[in-house]
Amino acid sequence: MSGERRTRAQALRAGVTTSAAVGAGVLLRDWARPDASAAAPSRAQDVRILRFLLVLEQAQSAFYDAALRSGTLSGELLHFAQVVAPQEHDHVAVLRRRLGASARPAPPFDFREATTSSAHFRRAAIDLEEATAAAYIGQGASLTRDAVAEAAGIVAVEARHAAWIRDLAGALPAPRPADPARSPNDVLSDLRTKGYLR
Amino acid sequence: MTLTLEQLDRDEALLESIAILQGETRAGFLRKAALGSAGMLAALAAPARAADSVSDVDILNFGLRFERLQATFYTQADELGTIHKMPAAKQRWAEVLGAHERAHVRILKKILGDKAGKRPFFDFHGVTETDDRFTRTAVAMEDLTVALLAGVTPRVHDRRLTAALFGLLTTEARHAAWARNIVGTTPAGRSVDEARTLDSVRGTVSRTHFIAAAPRMTSRRSRPRFTG
Repeated sequence: MSGERRTRAQALRAGVTTSAAVGAGVLLRDWARPDASAAAPSRAQDVRILRFLLVLEQAQSAFYDAALRSGTLSGELLHFAQVVAPQEHDHVAVLRRRLGASARPAPPFDFREATTSSAHFRRAAIDLEEATAAAYIGQGASLTRDAVAEAAGIVAVEARHAAWIRDLAGALPAPRPADPARSPNDVLSDLRTKGYLR
Repeated sequence: MTLTLEQLDRDEALLESIAILQGETRAGFLRKAALGSAGMLAALAAPARAADSVSDVDILNFGLRFERLQATFYTQADELGTIHKMPAAKQRWAEVLGAHERAHVRILKKILGDKAGKRPFFDFHGVTETDDRFTRTAVAMEDLTVALLAGVTPRVHDRRLTAALFGLLTTEARHAAWARNIVGTTPAGRSVDEARTLDSVRGTVSRTHFIAAAPRMTSRRSRPRFTG
């Protein structure tokens, strides 16, 4: 490759070739594993995990609501937000229903800056969708079976959102053959660093 | 039966897939279905049932068979030049998906080791030869993969495998969303993706006749068929 001057297509092609050529050994190492700190699935553990996932769904709901209120979106981005916002609200409702009396109210979020322009919106949407998908991947296997089924149906939609907004932002929608997991600490501290979660 | 096909299949992925794969228009398919394809309707309407009797190896082997089907589908479209003739953005999409599906085959073979099933023969009946048919079939297959993985992920017994399948499920969901965006359909048509049982997906795959018992050398075309 000719250094930094290669075209985007070449870069993408190189990325694909690399990911396809690394072989199953590396892929298996990179493949998501159950959270090492998690115990065997239990109702109590479900509550801890679902409360964490609920914060992420609440964050996304608040973000898309703020974006739609801001009036900064138009065209494809507006359509994206209009489709995705009610789906995130549904996810909040599903998790709240499963948590019952154990559900907690949303923590304070700040999406003022994230909704000031199309570019800010795209970046924040990718951050939130990717973080949420990786969080489900990391926690999913530690849930009880019924909760796994529900989480699977939801995380697939989060991944669809991630791919869709990446496509609109000109990024590769599916950058890897298998998506990695992220730990709750990593995800939450990242959201704080970015100023979304106060 | 009170449910209509459309109610079962709100984003129409399944209707599309079956209609396309059977080489009919959707309207034609619906007419036929309405006239009494009771078996198929029953199969489609079958509720997700407990499948504890299915072993992890069975699930992985079905996954391998399905990933081989997909990998061969993309590889064949590439080798026939169908992908090469597409606009650049679409080419990139088809190439990335092909590379991922081939990687999935390698991963599943590695996990299964000597328990991996034999490679079947595939016959795509010309679907890989034109952009339009290839693309529509790809959209249907990616959505079907998402439904399969959403259905089997809660069913595996080994939690390491559950974790791995989550990472595979999200990748397939990205493929499906990307494919849908390319054809101008909403990438996320519902709040929660539908889950389908292994049996139900097996039925759909079987109706495509993409998997052949033996290599098809005597079909209408003299071109040798591909294996996965």
